[in-house]
Amino acid sequence: MKSFEFFEPTTLAEASNLFAQEHAQLLAGGTDLVIGMKAYTETPETVISLQKIPGLDGITTDNDKSISIGAMTKVRQVELSEDIQQYHTALAEGASEIGSIQIRNLATIGGNIAHASPAADTVAGLLVADAQVDIASADGERSVPINELFTGPGQTVLKPGEIITQFRLPNPVSGSHYIKHKIREVMDLAFIGVASAVNVQNGVIKEARIGLAAVAPTPIRATEAENLLSGKIPTPELLAQAGEAAAAATSPISDLRCSAEHRKEMVDVLTRRTLQNALDRV
Amino acid sequence: MSDYSVVGKKLPRVDAVEKVTGAAQYGADVHPAGMLYGKIVRSKHAHAKILSIDTSEAEKLPGVRAIVTQDDVPSGRRVFATDKVLYLGEPLAAVAATDADVAEEAAELIKIEYEVLPVVQDVMESIKSSAPRLHGDETKDGPNRRDISAKIKELSSDQEDDNSDEIRKLKAELEKYSDEVYYNISAETHNEAGDVEKGFAESDVIVEDTYVIPRVHQTYMEPHVSVASADSSGKITVWASTQGPFAIRSGIAGTLGIPLTQINVIGTTMGGGFGGRFGVIITHVPAVLLSQKSGRPVRVQMTREEEFLDGRPAPGCVIKIKTGATNDGHILARQALAFWDSGSVSGASIGSTIRVRGVYKIPNIKIDAYGVHTNKSGTAAYRAPGAPQAIFAGESQLDDIAEQIGMDPVKFRLMNMREEGDSVPAGGSEPKVGYKETLEAVADAAGWWDRESDDNQGWGVAVGDWTNGCGPGGVYVSVHEDGSARIFHGSMDITGTDTAITQIIAEILTVPYENVTIRRGDTDSAPYSTGSGGSVVTFTMGNTAKLAAEDARRRILELAAERLNTNEDNLELKDGAVHIVTADPPKSISLGELAAYSLSTTGGPIVGKGAFARQPSTPALAAQIAKVEVDPDTGRTRVLKLVASQDVGFAINPMAVEGQIEGGVVQGYAWAMMEEMQYGDNGNINPGFVDYRVPTSADLPTVESVIVEVPAPNGPYGAKGVGEPPITPTLATMANAVKDAVGIRVTELPIKPEKVVEALKNNGHGA
Repeated sequence: MKSFEFFEPTTLAEASNLFAQEHAQLLAGGTDLVIGMKAYTETPETVISLQKIPGLDGITTDNDKSISIGAMTKVRQVELSEDIQQYHTALAEGASEIGSIQIRNLATIGGNIAHASPAADTVAGLLVADAQVDIASADGERSVPINELFTGPGQTVLKPGEIITQFRLPNPVSGSHYIKHKIREVMDLAFIGVASAVNVQNGVIKEARIGLAAVAPTPIRATEAENLLSGKIPTPELLAQAGEAAAAATSPISDLRCSAEHRKEMVDVLTRRTLQNALDRV
Repeated sequence: MSDYSVVGKKLPRVDAVEKVTGAAQYGADVHPAGMLYGKIVRSKHAHAKILSIDTSEAEKLPGVRAIVTQDDVPSGRRVFATDKVLYLGEPLAAVAATDADVAEEAAELIKIEYEVLPVVQDVMESIKSSAPRLHGDETKDGPNRRDISAKIKELSSDQEDDNSDEIRKLKAELEKYSDEVYYNISAETHNEAGDVEKGFAESDVIVEDTYVIPRVHQTYMEPHVSVASADSSGKITVWASTQGPFAIRSGIAGTLGIPLTQINVIGTTMGGGFGGRFGVIITHVPAVLLSQKSGRPVRVQMTREEEFLDGRPAPGCVIKIKTGATNDGHILARQALAFWDSGSVSGASIGSTIRVRGVYKIPNIKIDAYGVHTNKSGTAAYRAPGAPQAIFAGESQLDDIAEQIGMDPVKFRLMNMREEGDSVPAGGSEPKVGYKETLEAVADAAGWWDRESDDNQGWGVAVGDWTNGCGPGGVYVSVHEDGSARIFHGSMDITGTDTAITQIIAEILTVPYENVTIRRGDTDSAPYSTGSGGSVVTFTMGNTAKLAAEDARRRILELAAERLNTNEDNLELKDGAVHIVTADPPKSISLGELAAYSLSTTGGPIVGKGAFARQPSTPALAAQIAKVEVDPDTGRTRVLKLVASQDVGFAINPMAVEGQIEGGVVQGYAWAMMEEMQYGDNGNINPGFVDYRVPTSADLPTVESVIVEVPAPNGPYGAKGVGEPPITPTLATMANAVKDAVGIRVTELPIKPEKVVEALKNNGHGA
């Protein structure tokens, strides 16, 4: 790898100032960055570790069951958190799909999101949890909804010096499910990822959220499909309509993994399937 | 088996502790003082003319100690490309520098001017006249043109008149096959027995398909690596991660014009080989060149990406295959035409096309096989080279025939299998091999006869045959004053072969297994040994070890007779001592006492020598059954059960044999379901483990191994080579199981979800 300067700041302000420089990269778990540096696809001149800054990790649940996840929280902790498993199952399932256990013990949820891969495994779960992303910089703090964070592959609305500090999941959903379409059982990249979450009252879908990964330049919500579902009593026909609507919302590419057509078709299949499973979990 | 005390036992491997503790020295662990880091400069194009190579900027970079190109290769053998590159990643030069990052930077500073040429990566495109030529304009005739031309030649020599009606007719017919003029052919092979036309005419059922098998990489864990050190006298030492140190020694000598014994090759512990670790020029020759030029030791170590670009993987191929059978289940004829993707050089296991014959009594057979140049790296052996590809086609098609005539696939195979004494198409007669026993064993173990399937579940069976190779080897064994024995040899351990050699010697000398140790010498010290590939080691070195131990035993009995003052006929070697059989009270002398005594005798210490080169080997059969479940909506396939039997002759270490069976099955499964080197417009596009998928333990259930033992007449204790057979049937086993589950015949591997979904939409066609 190319030589670089390494910093371990102990405050967010210090980290933000360093990160505002050109050719600077943040080091969280390192599971994306270090591999890229070894392959010369990432050649930062400054690497800023977030590991010495207190208060950036951990999962807390409030009385109203809203949950905060620190950006430096290990993906493995997200996967194993009982509260996340119960209230945002799709997110826990997405976390469990990343790499191997060894990788998940290093990788952070903040890194998984900030890397802005359209195929990130925690992103569909965060989308259907309606997560808020808290961001800090030397200039202050702000918060954006997760579905407004991404602007393109590897691109976000984050400005130089801005650092993701935590994800806030406001309300629990009654049932959710994530399926990753892949070839290998574990340690595979998502051909596509689909998460569905539903809130059901008296047998009626009060609210549905569908998050899709690896089917567009950014992760997306399938809002038309969601609208089709809300206020309806779930039937196989309704779920089939939602599947089709979700597929229609995508603009996937063909690549060495599979064709765009296959991706679209799988969005249809897996939207139906994740919705059904989310409903079964209510 | 019960007659033996050491062979036939599940004993721990002799190298278990060093592997588990990390003490084993792999190639990258070698670090002589002053070592430089080598880096190979590689082509960025799959096909291009080289206009110039400019190393001047790189030479100026501080830390760069040597740069070599083809100009530095005295024999002129192609180590680096000069006029033209034929594949993405082809070596053009190499640099050595004081650290790896400097070497990397220097490699980037070497300026290469290319003139890009059209690329061909598909064999069926490469044979056409429209394809770019990789090596020249020479053409070869396809099978029909060959046959017609042969007839014309025959008639012309019989009759003076070259323009008879018959010949004119034949010449016109020749014209009809103008698309059978093949370009870019690197090699060809043809086999024929009986009369296939007659066989097909007599058949009730004929099935014809084209099978496409992708190029796959051996994906050994340790990438290619060598450390070379040239001293001031010109003596070369190479620490090489290789299956065959002696082959590397002669390869380096030939390529660089260095006297053979001026080169010492030290084989480092191998991180997997599978046939792909015999190459001389991949890293060894560049390392030697860089060391000669810099005067310092140099390590050249490939990255995983370089492995995919410039390793020597298994060839992909396209096989057109046709089989005819009668309604009562007799296979009458089989014909195959195969195009093997040999990449930029010739080779590519084309001879293995004959494996489509299988172990069946097929009276009429015709095989035509061609190696085809493409803009890819050359290929090499991979575990039963060529057999998995050919057997995939043959065994898939057999299932379709069985289905058409309504016969159980296992019964259909049993009915057609050759038996002892049957004539073999290649000549001679069939030896005793457990073909039927092995298939019956797997069927029984898997519960085939009362198998059950839920929706979208299915069962598949296939068999594959392979015969181990054989080669020269030498072994010494010494017995020491403490009664222990030490083995000295020069063959590389390949997943347990050192253990097998040790067990054989412990058995014969009656020394406890743990008191027999084994040491490997380098090519300067050890007797010549064949490479560790082709399932040869246990067969060859096992026989060699047996001879060495028997030689030592002769000396032991000689010494004991002298010491105990009796005749050798009265003596028995047992439990680490020599006993007088008839003595009452018992009288004996331990091996340690004899070894101590030997030091003051005229004949000297106990040293046994064994040397061996060649004995006919016996075919082995692997038979496998899989149960799978296919998700028809997503196309994903899950394996529920995988049972593998194998006729191993005799299992010298059943635990190691089971390990070989499991390893082969897993690699076959991977080839069937996920592994595939993919090519875009300009070479390989998945040179890494993200998009070149190898399975993990989560993808497969525990493989159930069933050992069948029908002894091989010339094998040590009846053993056959076990490493290669288990990969041979798995590709077809998986495809046959998917067919049974959801009714689609996959003819193009791997069986990816998208293909399954597509095929289901097309009612089973076009997979």
